[in-house]
Formats: sequence, C-alpha cells, structure tokens
Amino acid sequence: MQKEMAYSFPDEVLKHVFSFIQSDKDRNAVSLVCKSWYEIERWCRRKVFIGNCYAVSPRMVIRRFPEVRSIELKGKPHFADFNLVPDGWGGYVLQWIAEMAGAYPWLGEIRLKRMVVTDESLELIAKSFKNFKVLVLFSCEGFSTDGLAAIAASCKNLRELDLRESEVDDLSGHWLAQFPETCTSLVSLNISCLGSDEVSFSALERLVDRCPNLRSLQLNRAVTLDKIANILRRAPQLVDFGTGNYAAELQPDVFSNLAGAFSSCKELKSLSGFWDVVPAYLPALYSICPRLTSLNLSYATIQSPDLIKLVSHCPRLQRLLVLDYVEDSGLEELASSCKDLQELRVFPSDPFGVEPNVSLTEQGLVAVSLGCPKLQSVLYFCRRMSNAALVTIAQNCPNLTRFRLCIIEPKTPDYLTLDPLDAGFGAIVEHCKDLRRLSLSGLLTDHVFEYIGTYGKKLEMLSVAFAGDSDLGLHHVLSGCESLRKLEIRDCPFGDKALLANAAKLETMRSLWMSSCAVSFGACKLLGQKMPKLNVEVIDETEPPDSRPESYPVDKLYIYKSVAGPRFDMPPFVWSMDEAVKILH
Amino acid sequence: MGRPTSSSSSIDSPNHFAFSSTASSQRDLTTDLRLGLSISIAPPFVREQWPPMKAAVAEEEHECNSSTFYVKVYMEGIPIGRKLDLLAHESYYDLIRTLEHMFHTNIIWAEAEMDRDHYEKYHVLTYEDKEGDWMMVGDVPWEMFLSAVRRLKISKC
Repeated sequence: MQKEMAYSFPDEVLKHVFSFIQSDKDRNAVSLVCKSWYEIERWCRRKVFIGNCYAVSPRMVIRRFPEVRSIELKGKPHFADFNLVPDGWGGYVLQWIAEMAGAYPWLGEIRLKRMVVTDESLELIAKSFKNFKVLVLFSCEGFSTDGLAAIAASCKNLRELDLRESEVDDLSGHWLAQFPETCTSLVSLNISCLGSDEVSFSALERLVDRCPNLRSLQLNRAVTLDKIANILRRAPQLVDFGTGNYAAELQPDVFSNLAGAFSSCKELKSLSGFWDVVPAYLPALYSICPRLTSLNLSYATIQSPDLIKLVSHCPRLQRLLVLDYVEDSGLEELASSCKDLQELRVFPSDPFGVEPNVSLTEQGLVAVSLGCPKLQSVLYFCRRMSNAALVTIAQNCPNLTRFRLCIIEPKTPDYLTLDPLDAGFGAIVEHCKDLRRLSLSGLLTDHVFEYIGTYGKKLEMLSVAFAGDSDLGLHHVLSGCESLRKLEIRDCPFGDKALLANAAKLETMRSLWMSSCAVSFGACKLLGQKMPKLNVEVIDETEPPDSRPESYPVDKLYIYKSVAGPRFDMPPFVWSMDEAVKILH
Repeated sequence: MGRPTSSSSSIDSPNHFAFSSTASSQRDLTTDLRLGLSISIAPPFVREQWPPMKAAVAEEEHECNSSTFYVKVYMEGIPIGRKLDLLAHESYYDLIRTLEHMFHTNIIWAEAEMDRDHYEKYHVLTYEDKEGDWMMVGDVPWEMFLSAVRRLKISKC
C-alpha cells in the first residue's frame, strides 16, 4: 500500500516539483533516482550548462534534453586568455547553433565563453530563434559588427546583449541603428569591448531612450565624457553603468552637468569603464559613491591620492578592481573605509618593468585582510611576498573562496627569509577550508603541493606556473584534491609518472592543461590508448610530435573528459592521441 | 578588459628585428631599440606569455618607458650584485668600459686581448640569454645582444 502511493504521483506533479529545482547539480541528482524521474526530468530541463563544448556533442544534448530554452557553452581552456592557446585551436560554435536551430525553436538564451563565433553563427541565431532574449559573448572572437546588426535587426524582444571582453571586427558603427523602433525590451547592453567607430552615438541615445527597463549599460572607450550626462538622464533607472573615456578639460558646466546626471541615478550601484581618467572629474561621482557596491577601475591610470579620496567615499563597496597605482597606502584606506569588501583585484600597471614603479607590496593585501572580514575573492599582482604575510592573510580571512596571487618575477622567494613560499600557501589552504580556486606563484617546491593535496579538499581549480621539483608535486595534487575539476600547469618539471599513476583521476575532472612541462609523447599516447573516456590532445606548432623520439616532451597537452569521442575540427597543430583517430589516419 | 590584438603572436618570430646591424648606425638607435625591444624589453617572459594577464590591459598600461633597460650584474665571489642600464650604452666597448670601472678589473669578452701572464687580473664577461644559457659577451651584434640578455656575470679566469 505504502509502496504504491510513493509512485502514484502523476507526471505533471513531479514536473511541477522539479520546476523549483534550478541548480544543475540537483537536476542531475534528480535524474539518477529512477528511470521515470530521469524521463520526466529530461523533458522539463530548460537550462543546460556545458563547461567544455567538446565534452559532449550537440546531437547528444538535443537527444537527451529536447526542450531547452537556455544554453551556456565554454570553449577554449582558460590559459587562452594569456595567449598560450594558438589561434585556430577550436571552440567553434557554428555547429551547435546549426543543430539547435532545428531542435530548439524556442531557445531564448545563449551564453558563450571563449568561443569562436562567426557572423554566420550570429545570422543563424537571428533567423532561427523567434523568442531570442539573451546573448552573452564573453571573451569570444571571430565576428564583426555585421553579425551584430543581424541580431539587432531580427531579435524583437532582445533583453540582453553582452559582448564583454570579446574581439569584434569593426566594419561599421551603424549596427546599433538596426534595433527597430519597436524594440523597447533591452535590460542589459555591454559594448565596452568595441573600438572607436563601432557605435553610432545617436542610435545609442535613441535606443536608451525607448528602453525603460534598461538596468545595465557599459559604453565603449570612444564615448566621450561630455556624452555621459545625456545618456544618464535618459536612463536614471540604471543599476550598472560603464563609462567610456573619462577625460576632458575641466569645465565647470560640464562638471556640474555630469555631477547632476549621476546624482539623478538613485539605483546606481556599480561603475566601470574609466579609460583615461582626469582626476578632477572624479568628484562628480561623489553623490552616488555612498551607494556603490562595485567599482571597476582597472583601466583608470590615476594615482594613489585620488584613488584614496574616491574609495573613502564608498563605505558600501563590496567589489573593487584597480591598478597597482592604488599602492599600499590606498589599500590601507580601503581596509579602513570599506568593511563590506568581498572581492579585490589589483592589476599591475607596468607588468614588464624590471623595477617596481609603484609602492605596492604584500603590505597592502595584509592590510585589507585585516580590515575587511568579509573578503572572499582575491586576485593580486605584486613584486614581493613573504610566508609571514601569507600566514597572516590566511588567518585573517578564513572565508576566502578564491585566492590568486601573481608575484611578477617567476620563482621569487620569500623576500625576508629567501625561503620558498610553500609554508605561506600551505597556510592559505589549511585555514581557508572553503577555498575553491587557487593560483600559485613565487618560489615553490613539492612541499606546497603536499599541503594542497592534504588540505585543499574543496579546491576546484588550481593554476600553477614555474613551481615544483618533481612528479611528486603533481601526484600530491591529483591524489589529494578530491573536488578538483580544472588543473592548469605551465613551466613545471612534472613528467609522466604522476600523470600515468593518476590517470583515473583525470576522468573525474573537466580538464587538465600542461604546457612547457616534461610529459613525453609516449605517455600521451599511452593515456590516449588506455583512457577511452578522455580526449588527449597534443599541441605543437613547430613539428609533429611523432617526428621526434617518444621520450621527447610535448610542448602543450590538453586532456579532458568527453562522451563525444575525439573532435573532428582539430587544426594541423593539434594531435589527438585517441587510437580510433589514429587508425583513420 | 579587452582581448589581445594579433600582433602579440608575432613576438615569437626570430625575424622580429627589422633592422640589420650595418644600417642601424645610420638610424636613430634608441627608436629602433624601442621598437624592437618594446615587447622584448621584458625578456623572456613576454615571449613566454607572462605575467598572466589579458594582454589588452598590459599593452595599454605599458607606457613605453623603455628608455632604460636594467640588468643585474654579479661578480664571482661577491654576493651582492649591481644593476646596469644597458640602454645607457651605445656599444660593447661602452659597456665594457663601464663594467671595468664598476668592478675595478679587466674584462675579457669576445674581442678582448689578454695578457696571459697576468690572468688573475682579468675577469670573463658572460651573459644569460633567454634560453637560460651562459654565453660569452660580444659574439652577436649589439642590438641582438640587447634583445637576448637577461643578466651579466663576471667570472674569474
């Protein structure tokens, strides 16, 4: 009697219950309960996230989830951001769009990261999806303003167009004018990556005028300071705003117009842009500073005193991105003014200089760790560090979830003791029990990896460069980090032993990147042979890996789990170690 | 932050240096050096894509202050090194003169002649190149040396 009741819910009831379950992890768990739940769940899954576009094929996704409305895809490995992945490597979205065009007529949202998107793909999107609402192209490339024009013209209910950090071929600024007069639905528009002639300002003004729900607008560098006031007065409801150029000769009427426009934006919480800042115009922001929670000054080449003044007006700041012009003194001010700070990113103003050009050291970060108890996420470029400072930071901020430290000169030791920084990073992983992401730098031996393997149980992503002494280092990480999903390594003396000994681990991860290490071609072939669930790809731009002895190390290696088998769009400098592919050759 | 422009992929090319050593004497050397070295001024790590930043931020903020190029110079037996601005010198001869003055010794390099009876008074000048190898100073043209050198070492004979 009891047993029957458990299975007597009609499908519609279960469907309704499942509709409250949004997270992918939970949805995946639901689908594993029993066959009927698997079936019901797959028909009502509306959102799919694919962290590696080569892990699965479009056909497989469509077959399992026939009613998807929103898809997110990621292409190139993270190190592509630093030019380590050669052009032409892959990550093409066209085939996905083509297959989804037929299968998902109601697809409304496409979010892509590090993928190659062509105008053809954009035109296909514009043509195929009548209810298209959201297009996010994060760090994408391969398209031009022609493709954008197609999107603007056809997507009658477009809500979000976000091109952040993408590379766009500028052919004409008139694409914005392609948004029909009837389009009033925009909520978010990010064109900050566009070059100088890619935006018709009058078309932009008219667009902003007729979109009353516009909450987020990021202009590009070409938009001059004097135009900001016009835009803001047309959109006082903005929550998130990115300026263009923030430079002009100081003129009292321009200043007061700007200050007035900013103060009319009662909802404004987040600012970015600020190319070429003229400090005299920063006080125009003071009226909204008390409400600001996020400030991105990573393009603002202003010096510490001006930064200090600005930051001291923003007590509610939760997120700050800034150049190292902020210096230790600026970070000390931040620590005393911004008690709600959760995320700090400090970028180097002169990354290639041999001498430090600013007074930014580990002291700044220590000060913030002491003053900002809610600090969770750190990205910090500096030129010196000590174990003592890292231990202090770890003890002050046990709630860190992301810690990325880049000491600019590789293999820099503790500047006080000249020891490796093993103990310092060890303290970070030991004290920060929820650490999900870690990037290492400085002089590091195998010991740091021992700490990471021992304590980094929640670590999902690890980035390593110029570190370690032997395979033991890699072995500690692969055998100890239970939650590891992404591992990226460059210029480390890690070879075959650890990789082969932990081959099974690789099937539990999303991907592994190793470049300029000591993994031999023979080991790559062996992995490709023994691990059918992995795609093992060797990248070498100079010559085919089999033109050299098997013991010779490969230049770059990218291993990822896949149910789609080896990919067929590899360029000539990428070799698959999959046996099946090799037989075909 | 934006994405890198395609010019960054050409850094690796060994033919990056557009000038020949004979023609350069007629041109403005500092301009050539700045052009040729504006990226390689941070050898070797720019070539190796370091530090890990999205290039557009790096390129925009690197306000080519490449009128100086300091390298470390160590003398064997002395733990504390010195720093030397190579761009303040016009040629190997200039550099050798500065080093001899700085370290109070006679420097052997590719074009030096040594009095073999008094070898203890001489030191050999070598440099570490982008590949980490130690080479004798003076074999390659001055501009090529500037692009390859990471640091200098003065060793006993």
